[in-house]
Amino acid sequence: MSPPDFTMDVDHNEYLAEGARDVNAILTVTMAGTVAESPTGETDTAEIIIIDCSGSMGSPASKIAEARAACSAAVEVIRDGVAFALIAGTHEAAAIFPEDGSLAVAGPRTRELAKQAVARLRPGGGTAIGVWLRLAHQVFTSHPARLRHAILLTDGNDESESSGDLDAAIKLCEGVFSCDCRGVGTDWRVGELRRVSAALLGSVDIVPDPAGLAADFSAMMAESMGKRVADVSLRIWTPEHASIFLKQVAPAVEDLTSRRTESGPRAGDYPTGAWAPGESRDYHLAVQVPHPGAIGQQVLAARVSVVAASPDGVEVLGEKKVVATWTDDEALSTRINQRVAHYTGQEELAQAIQEGLEARRLGDKDTAEAKLGRAVALAHQSGNEETAKLLVKVVDVVDAATGTVRLKKKVEDADEMALDTRSTKTVRTKK
Amino acid sequence: MSTCPAGHTSASSDFCDVCGMRIGVPASVPEVSPAAFAPEAQPSVPTRPTGPCPHCGAARSGRFCESCGFDFEAAVAPAASVAASAAPGGEAGSGDRSIEGANIPLSGTGPGPPPAGAALAGSGPAPAASKPAAWTAMVASDRAYFENVVAAGGPDAAAVEFPGYTPERRFRLAGPEMRIGRRSVSRGLEPEIDLTGPPTDPGISRLHAVLFAEPDGSWTILDPGSENGTLVNGREITAGVRLPLHDGDRIHLGAWTVITIQVG
Repeated sequence: MSPPDFTMDVDHNEYLAEGARDVNAILTVTMAGTVAESPTGETDTAEIIIIDCSGSMGSPASKIAEARAACSAAVEVIRDGVAFALIAGTHEAAAIFPEDGSLAVAGPRTRELAKQAVARLRPGGGTAIGVWLRLAHQVFTSHPARLRHAILLTDGNDESESSGDLDAAIKLCEGVFSCDCRGVGTDWRVGELRRVSAALLGSVDIVPDPAGLAADFSAMMAESMGKRVADVSLRIWTPEHASIFLKQVAPAVEDLTSRRTESGPRAGDYPTGAWAPGESRDYHLAVQVPHPGAIGQQVLAARVSVVAASPDGVEVLGEKKVVATWTDDEALSTRINQRVAHYTGQEELAQAIQEGLEARRLGDKDTAEAKLGRAVALAHQSGNEETAKLLVKVVDVVDAATGTVRLKKKVEDADEMALDTRSTKTVRTKK
Repeated sequence: MSTCPAGHTSASSDFCDVCGMRIGVPASVPEVSPAAFAPEAQPSVPTRPTGPCPHCGAARSGRFCESCGFDFEAAVAPAASVAASAAPGGEAGSGDRSIEGANIPLSGTGPGPPPAGAALAGSGPAPAASKPAAWTAMVASDRAYFENVVAAGGPDAAAVEFPGYTPERRFRLAGPEMRIGRRSVSRGLEPEIDLTGPPTDPGISRLHAVLFAEPDGSWTILDPGSENGTLVNGREITAGVRLPLHDGDRIHLGAWTVITIQVG
């Protein structure tokens, strides 16, 4: 297979003021091509759907019925030839198709058998998400597929295991498979599912009404079917003693700084999961060099390359340099790169929402109003209407421009959780 | 293999693969004219002194002190740029040459003190042999201060927005005075510390405050009577009265601007 084609664009202010040490850049990484035009013949993909079958899924009865329907809808989207399995999760985990804990090859017959197994699901028992992840890990690692993706559904708290158990299971699965998490209804904790989705490079969202599950599952499975390259990382070299942070900023904010693994002298790899042709994501890279240079001196603040694991080892798929020059011309050094400014604002928006919701949970009304007010102002400034709409379900806006808000006395749990899960979605800026 | 300006051995020949500095471009100030220095007066790379750091005494390796970050090459360069820009003609230049020439054989273990004071003030004798302390003013935005300003509720306070992104701006304090304010073409005002931005802090007057260089190398601040006043370490300073500044002092002005003084 010819190596996948990635392009990278770098936007940054190339001039640093005398004595300055901070270089900020926006990296836009795009995989060339389109899903429609790209062959699937040599793609090896494995899919696992994990469904919560705890007792609470049975009340109301429609909840488990909709979950079964969603599972079947997702199975229908799985392409012929892809390996797949279904797991039912309670305080234990059970492989319900195939029952021997292997993966089946998708085709008309196996899809039909899978749907019959789904129809036999009955709710009862507790919830131990870590145990479900461990079984998925076992099933995935029994198979050589490189693109490994799971969908996980729960409706409640992870009550049948300790927080440490969940963390240990997450650690085991990091880098082995990706996992998109969904919580149905409002009895589950966003923080718990977010721990799973953040570490396993997936999304987290609320589906308030079980009737919405089928459409959501089909969409997630279709997106996964589009992926062609697994385990893509950004490899970043920075000068000795420089400090670095890296955040994905589009389509959503995700801090990758702590996910670094060392990969050479002064270089580290940041995992970005699987990519589909046509996909584009933006990253904010901030490097602080240890010493400012003299006026006129140039420094390579970072060398960034896109690397992917392949059967023959790691391939470097593209490289860009981030160079800065010290100047005493303030007209140059005070220029603000618009994309850096925009995304810095979006990062601040995501953080303000998280901090505001946390303050609200703790009963600190003043901090909640200050933070959520700041979020309203930032959403207004950056034209982030989707986030603005989520915010007005939690606060009454007195003045959007200055961010003056009052907490609503009564907020629906579903609205608060939707703001929590979707607060990281950003508005994209194009070059 | 190439050698970078800081002395590292690098496999890449464009940028050093240890410290990232561009290879092949001299690290010292490019606009220094040859007239300001005799070639032998400049302690450039070929005859690199190897003594301890004059700032903290740590053993030296490479261009930057590993302990305190003192820049061995730039310690000469800023003096050069100040002398070159201040010297109107040959006289000050020849003064510099003799000072540089005198210092280099004596202080073979490190760069001589910058003759900046001597060149500009016109006072004859070489400056004191004490270590050069570089004073810098770092400009940033301060959220906590901004929130207090808005809470105090002045007539225009509610309309001001805290900037989404403030680039870090540093100014080396040099010369007899540094004016802080915002550029005004109509008044012919070009402050040395120009806070015009973007982002623009509307609470800063065109000529808001002035920093004065004192004979002992320290700096003082004076607010001539700005519209919104100036705070040093949280206390409003009296208009028309000079206040001495120290390392770490924080000067608040306008709606959200903070200037931190750094010495050394």
